[in-house]
Amino acid sequence: MEKEAILELRNIRKVFDKNVALDSVSFSLYPGEIHGLLGGNGAGKTTLMNVLYGLYRRDDGDINFHGQKLNIQGPKDAITHGIGMVHQHFLQIGSYTVLENIVLGTDVSHPVTMKLSAEAQKIIDLGNRFRLPVDPNAVVDTLPVGTRQKVEILKALYRGVEVLILDEPTTNLTPQEVDDLFESLRVIVNEGLSIVFITHKLREVLHVCDRITVLREGRNITSLTRAEASEEIFVRAMVGDQMKIEGSVYFSHGSMANTAVDESAIPALEMHDVGLKTKEGISRLAGLNFQIRQGELFGVAGVAGNGQRELAECVTGVVIPTEGKILMKGEDVTGVSVCELLKDWISYIPEDRLHDGFLPKANVAQNLILGYHRQKPYCEGSFIKWDTVYDKVRGYIGEYKIKTNGPEDPGGNLSGGNIQRVMIARAFSMNSHMMVAHNPTRGLDIPSMDFVYNKMLERKETGASTLLISEDLDELLLICDRIAVLYRGQIVGILDRKDFDKYAIGRLMSGIQAEETADLRAAS
Amino acid sequence: MTIVRKLVPYVIAIIASFAAAGIFIALTGANVFQAYETILFTSFRTPNGFVQTLLKFIPLTLQALAFTIPLTAGKFNMGGEGQMIVGAIAASVVGILGADLPAVILLPLVVLAGVAAGAIWGFIPAWLLYKFNINEILTSMLLNFVSFQIIDLVATGALRDPVAGHPTTVQIGQGGFLPMLIKNPPLNAGLILALLVAAGVYLYTTRTTGGYELVATGANPRAAAVFGINVKRMFVFSIVLAGAIAGLSGVIEVAGVQHRLIVGLQHNFLVLGVIIALISRGNNLAVPFVAFFIAILEIGASAMQRTMNVPIEMVFIVEALVLLFVLLSDVFRRR
Repeated sequence: MEKEAILELRNIRKVFDKNVALDSVSFSLYPGEIHGLLGGNGAGKTTLMNVLYGLYRRDDGDINFHGQKLNIQGPKDAITHGIGMVHQHFLQIGSYTVLENIVLGTDVSHPVTMKLSAEAQKIIDLGNRFRLPVDPNAVVDTLPVGTRQKVEILKALYRGVEVLILDEPTTNLTPQEVDDLFESLRVIVNEGLSIVFITHKLREVLHVCDRITVLREGRNITSLTRAEASEEIFVRAMVGDQMKIEGSVYFSHGSMANTAVDESAIPALEMHDVGLKTKEGISRLAGLNFQIRQGELFGVAGVAGNGQRELAECVTGVVIPTEGKILMKGEDVTGVSVCELLKDWISYIPEDRLHDGFLPKANVAQNLILGYHRQKPYCEGSFIKWDTVYDKVRGYIGEYKIKTNGPEDPGGNLSGGNIQRVMIARAFSMNSHMMVAHNPTRGLDIPSMDFVYNKMLERKETGASTLLISEDLDELLLICDRIAVLYRGQIVGILDRKDFDKYAIGRLMSGIQAEETADLRAAS
Repeated sequence: MTIVRKLVPYVIAIIASFAAAGIFIALTGANVFQAYETILFTSFRTPNGFVQTLLKFIPLTLQALAFTIPLTAGKFNMGGEGQMIVGAIAASVVGILGADLPAVILLPLVVLAGVAAGAIWGFIPAWLLYKFNINEILTSMLLNFVSFQIIDLVATGALRDPVAGHPTTVQIGQGGFLPMLIKNPPLNAGLILALLVAAGVYLYTTRTTGGYELVATGANPRAAAVFGINVKRMFVFSIVLAGAIAGLSGVIEVAGVQHRLIVGLQHNFLVLGVIIALISRGNNLAVPFVAFFIAILEIGASAMQRTMNVPIEMVFIVEALVLLFVLLSDVFRRR
């Protein structure tokens, strides 16, 4: 590349307490390129961009923009200089219209009367120009995630940014929406803007980016153009040398051998017309009918908020379904308490680890026995055997690579990824016929994800089943035997592994074709 | 090492609060160091002073535990005072009505009646919380006022001692007296009860499955519920247990110290109990030690008032400042 870099970050360093999040990281961006910032969780991708965007103050290093030194104090500075960021979690006011959300915080032409027709026209023009069609008068709450993201991008473009930072933009999008997004991004850079694309998904980066920078553990490992490099180089750069890629599930392209499940045995889980209504009578789940066989890894796909959490909680007994029956190995367990189910029957990795699974004020050991504290070997009569617990916990800390000072370390000291490791260690620490795992790999780095996948595949050999509910479609495609798609509280399709098709699942996830599939199922 | 490090903020807080209180004492015109000396050493100068300190220590420890137990589960019992009063009332009524019974029967009855009454007084806000989700802080505190009326009724009613100038009942039967550990100065067996309760609470919360569930509930009720703990039941249980312990403190006042029901026996125990609990940061093991320290201050303060004419309220300033500085040390440590 002969072009002059529009933006250069040199030797950026950022330290949180004692953790070095960024250790002299350099990064440069050319005009008109999509630059992928690739790395596992905790690699420092988002931290680096937050430094650029002014959300964090850097401890050392320079930022050069258009050849001039830039001192950014906050996001407002960044935007006035033409740097915009779209966060993973959208910052939008749900009850406002698209138009109101976009103009919020900018000067408008009629501040007294709030006549916004000029602004609306500008948004429509921008939408047409960049292939981001959005109705400016739609209320944000009523829009699907994919459209809300377009709003967020328009928000930045409306402010006239030259550099657009997208933080994990494909989370929660269906494959179709991902393709749309990539098309728009291409249009945007063709107009001369530059994009930084933060992601942990290698395939997306290879698909859309012109250049790719890989970060690992707060250092930049390599920067290459797409043409220069093969997938293997990036894989190696992302995970380092500690991990064996040959045996890895994560990089296996889903080609690992699936052991056959015993179809004649009693199903591990049977759902008969299970439905759940809230007290107000709003239906959250309706007419769920499916079976999970012994030793099967059963996936549930869907855009977040379509009943995944309710499904997980019905199966684990946290909530009792208002309709239907749940059977485990032929035994009716509808209405049996979690406390009972946790004995042998189920184990649970909740989605919202901070609210539903973690005791921040309790120590690591207390966290790891939650739910199993009334079971052997942790307790004897009504006393907890802390010596045994601590011994066991030290083992888990080693095996699951939980970064902590020991069993008595307060839970509040753990980072997000380590809290997730606690959730996983706890769920795998006791035998269970049925594991319910909801987004189990969120916040984990690649070797840890691989570890979890291997653990789940190991369960198959012992005939234990897993219900994997995930927002990460790639994850489901990688390891599941079957995938069910949940849409508005209903199962709109179940696919066998041989029929896995990303786009077909994507259509089901967005509710298109739900009826056609129903017809198909009726026909077959 | 870790214990030393945990103690450092307390020591600093105590020194800082004494220094600050010294300014107020100096403003009243008294000798600051003599005042300090009186506050800190009255308890250890005479046997009587020490026993008086222990007699304060008993209700303070129990009141503080009546606050820390629900606090462990994340709930606030502001009704320790009322629970103490109804415990004292029940103990006196049983003690007076059964005055002729032998000690082997009467004493257990007196203790049980007081503990049960305290537990019932705790059960009311707990049940309202369980059933209707009514804030327990409000209900438990309001029940204190109800108990004030009841004690007035009992102490001025049929059981009244007509000779006494203050609203007081007649003496309870001899069989209802707690045995004495020391005759003179009088120290009753309530001390052993209080220490047993403190040890029991500590063992319960740290060693048992039930105690674990209590801690888990307080740490994150939602997560505790997701993993099979009946958190609502833990709330009820913790407040009822607290009521029982507060009731016991009322029993000890009646059966151990006064041998009758006197209006106003609750002194400032609720506020002091909360202060002790908060200085201990809810740690049940620390409660008896902090309670002992506060008892020393209380006894020293009344001596200071008698001998130096420094108002007893000065010691409230010290106590409040200790609490304030301990809480502040949390803020600084987080920096």
